[in-house]
Amino acid sequence: MYGDLFDALPHVLGLYNFVALVIGVIAGIVVGAMPGLSATMAISVLVPFTFGLEPLVALGLMAGVYNGAMYGGAIPAVLLRIPGTPAAVATTFDGYPMAQKGQGGFALQVAVVSSAIGGIVSAFALMLLAPPLSKVTLLFGPSEVFWVAVFGLASIIFLLGGNPVKGLISACFGVFVSVIGADPISGADRYTFDHLELLDGISIVILLVGLYALPPVIDLLEVPLKTDQVSDSKLGTEPIWKALPRMFRFWKTWIRSSLIGVWIGILPGAGGSMAAFMSYNEARRASKTPETWGNGEPEGVAASETANNADTASALIPALTLGIPGTAVAAVMLGGLLIHGLQPGPMLFRESPTIVFGFMWQFLFGAILLVLLGGSLATNSFAKLLNLPRPLLGSVIIVLMLIGVYSINGRMFDVYLMLGFGAIGYVMDKLKFPLPPVVLGLILGSYAEENLRLALRIGRGDWTILFQNTTSLVLVALTVAVVFGPSVKRRFFKKSEEEAKE
Amino acid sequence: MSKSNSNRLFRPETLTALGVIATAAAFLIPTSYLKPISALLPGAMLIGMIALSLIQLVADQRASSAGEEPKPMTAAPKRVLGAFLLIVCYALATDFVGFYVSTAVAVPLVAYVFGYRSLPGLALATIIVVGAIYLIFDFGMAQTFPSGRLWQS
Repeated sequence: MYGDLFDALPHVLGLYNFVALVIGVIAGIVVGAMPGLSATMAISVLVPFTFGLEPLVALGLMAGVYNGAMYGGAIPAVLLRIPGTPAAVATTFDGYPMAQKGQGGFALQVAVVSSAIGGIVSAFALMLLAPPLSKVTLLFGPSEVFWVAVFGLASIIFLLGGNPVKGLISACFGVFVSVIGADPISGADRYTFDHLELLDGISIVILLVGLYALPPVIDLLEVPLKTDQVSDSKLGTEPIWKALPRMFRFWKTWIRSSLIGVWIGILPGAGGSMAAFMSYNEARRASKTPETWGNGEPEGVAASETANNADTASALIPALTLGIPGTAVAAVMLGGLLIHGLQPGPMLFRESPTIVFGFMWQFLFGAILLVLLGGSLATNSFAKLLNLPRPLLGSVIIVLMLIGVYSINGRMFDVYLMLGFGAIGYVMDKLKFPLPPVVLGLILGSYAEENLRLALRIGRGDWTILFQNTTSLVLVALTVAVVFGPSVKRRFFKKSEEEAKE
Repeated sequence: MSKSNSNRLFRPETLTALGVIATAAAFLIPTSYLKPISALLPGAMLIGMIALSLIQLVADQRASSAGEEPKPMTAAPKRVLGAFLLIVCYALATDFVGFYVSTAVAVPLVAYVFGYRSLPGLALATIIVVGAIYLIFDFGMAQTFPSGRLWQS
């Protein structure tokens, strides 16, 4: 089962793959360090540029960006109390007070070592859990695949929190976009309105760039953030190997937070910020000196940074095996796989083992590289990036978006389409419509439709074929649990709270 | 119609719900021309969007009746509109005038309009961005960009 994993290792150690990973990690730290820019946005902008690259090189870049950005978010969180990414909010609690005391350098060293540990554990979880799960999913037929798609959509809508009606509207929109183009079975045009450009359907990259890159750029230009200049007094210049012995006392927190992060990553709909908060709370509860937390306790930084990096690779476990991404970044990464002709799901492990297992190694190496590339000297340089003018940054990203989308097919039609999706994405973002269901709807919509129609053909039009085997029934039960579980849980907790008050 | 009655129709959530309903209903027309099996999924999604938006609309109107103020979508609507218009103009200029000319104008213009006023900084950034794009994409990867429809005709 794990033979393919070791066979893929020599391919990953090639020069181009390694260079891509290094560039990805550095780019990720830079992006993560910029408040307002996220890993999701960076990967969305990056995906079109990877078209001409070998799949492993492209995936190495993405893995590097993801790992780097999760740590990069800690830099402004510690130095300015502005989380660079949503997952770094919990890092501000103790990181910023440490910087105020002149221990910013040590806080960032704790963050980088903890991020690396979380990333390494997460990569091992992906390597160990994904192959056996893919063996199970290989047994799925069309009706099971259809229910997996329905389950995936349901979980991301109902477990993401917020308003389920808005989540459902987002998912319907995504599925609808997925059917635009020629019908895969009958070949009939659907909603192309005589535009030849739409016959092949809408590329996921256009949707990703529009939804995830344009709204943050408009935000950058809308409110130019005034940040304090980063001064050297907030940082430390002590080499990381000298600071390392002072961190060994966090070993219990590293283990606990890694496990929390991996678990949250696997759950569809939960993300890095939830992992970081949960891990921070658990670590504080287990601490002998909880009163020092919030006033500059380095263990707090270790807890949140370990957990938010431990959910990176593990979020890809359901994504690679079932095609259900656990987080928005994983959804964007699925888009990255698709443009290289790699359909996430059980067949991926059979058809492209070198790529899928190589991708897992890249996550591991990316996490290790974090310590080398994000060490104290480098962190000092990355911190200076916070002084970059944001309007200039916004205008450069706009140019990159246009180049990326135009390069897919060499036509401006795609750019206009991207701007349309960008406008929709901005409104959705501001009105709190979740964006991951749109992406997942686009990825799973046509896939679900194809399998539903195949199942109906096998059953000669009889709909009961969808409920005729145990696996399908289990998946239906899981979907029902995901849909009604949160409201039942809320009601149950409300009742318990009322009883406790009485 | 009283002021409060007319305002409740202009709440962002209500306007969005109405927009979704109208758009989805319009897409149902071409759906009706499709074969039933081809129309199954898109039809279901469009009807789903209409039904869910109706729920959203009713919920927002009930919130309005309860005196709940709508949350503004943006703190600076003019800046948002300006940013989006500039991006659209940049795309149109790329299409009609050409990529390099449009980029050389758009990068400093967007940055200047939105608050970065250092002229040497703008000049340096423009040279770096346009130069890097030329070296990497045009020179290194032989990627061609639009040369402008105006010059072609």
